Amino acid sequence: MITSIEDILIFKTNIRTDEDRRRIQLTMDMLDGIEKWNVDLQDIDCVLRIESNKFSSAEIISIINYCGFECAELE
Amino acid sequence: MRTRNSDKEKLVEQKTIEMLVEEGFQGFSMNRLAKACDISVATLYIYYKDKDDMIKKIGASVGKTFMSETLKGFSPEMSFADGLRKQWENRARYAIKYPKEVACYEIIRHSQHGEYILNESLKEFKQTMMDFVQNAVKTKTLIPLAVETYWSVAFGPLYTLIQFHKEGKAMGGKPFKLSKKTMEEPLKLVIKALTPSKN
Repeated sequence: MITSIEDILIFKTNIRTDEDRRRIQLTMDMLDGIEKWNVDLQDIDCVLRIESNKFSSAEIISIINYCGFECAELE
Repeated sequence: MRTRNSDKEKLVEQKTIEMLVEEGFQGFSMNRLAKACDISVATLYIYYKDKDDMIKKIGASVGKTFMSETLKGFSPEMSFADGLRKQWENRARYAIKYPKEVACYEIIRHSQHGEYILNESLKEFKQTMMDFVQNAVKTKTLIPLAVETYWSVAFGPLYTLIQFHKEGKAMGGKPFKLSKKTMEEPLKLVIKALTPSKN
């Protein structure tokens, strides 16, 4: 399935390490409506990329904040 | 509103190749690539999931061009001499027409997952080349050899000539340009060396 461009959400975070990523993994994998997600740990902005047609950027930001990380939409 | 268009995608691909060639994989970053393409980092992440995904996609794209250029007019059923001649012509044309892609291929190949990525994208190509060699051995137009012996004799001279062409000169600074004419003699010698003797 090809994801529509509107369904790709991109964020700047402080999810820097594998350990950090594991901390959000359970939540992300559990959420119904997230097709795919990944964090580019090699990138300076630790970019979180999400494919979902159910969640808004604001909702994702709250979820990531709730897990204990900073998260802002990357323009 | 972010939009995806194929022109932009092509530009990103070209700039990625250029940046990889000029600065290597280590010096490469999504931020700098976005700046070079005059797009936002967010847009870049629409095309690539992360740096590894990027190298995978670029590798597959470079591999695809290489494959389509190298297999033009070639078939594994060709006689050994005809097939090798076609390979020399196609590979020389590719190397001259796509120098950045060739350099990029080398960089990707030497990166962490590069070999795997390129092997995957060139699977079909490798099978075609293997079929060609096996057919030629079966029809007794090629001596059976270890694969590395075969490859180095069959294509080593060609890549040396391509290198001379890139530098614009051969041994002792003598001007050199790769052409059907300058390829003819070394190609004939290679075919002669790899063909079983009649007696």
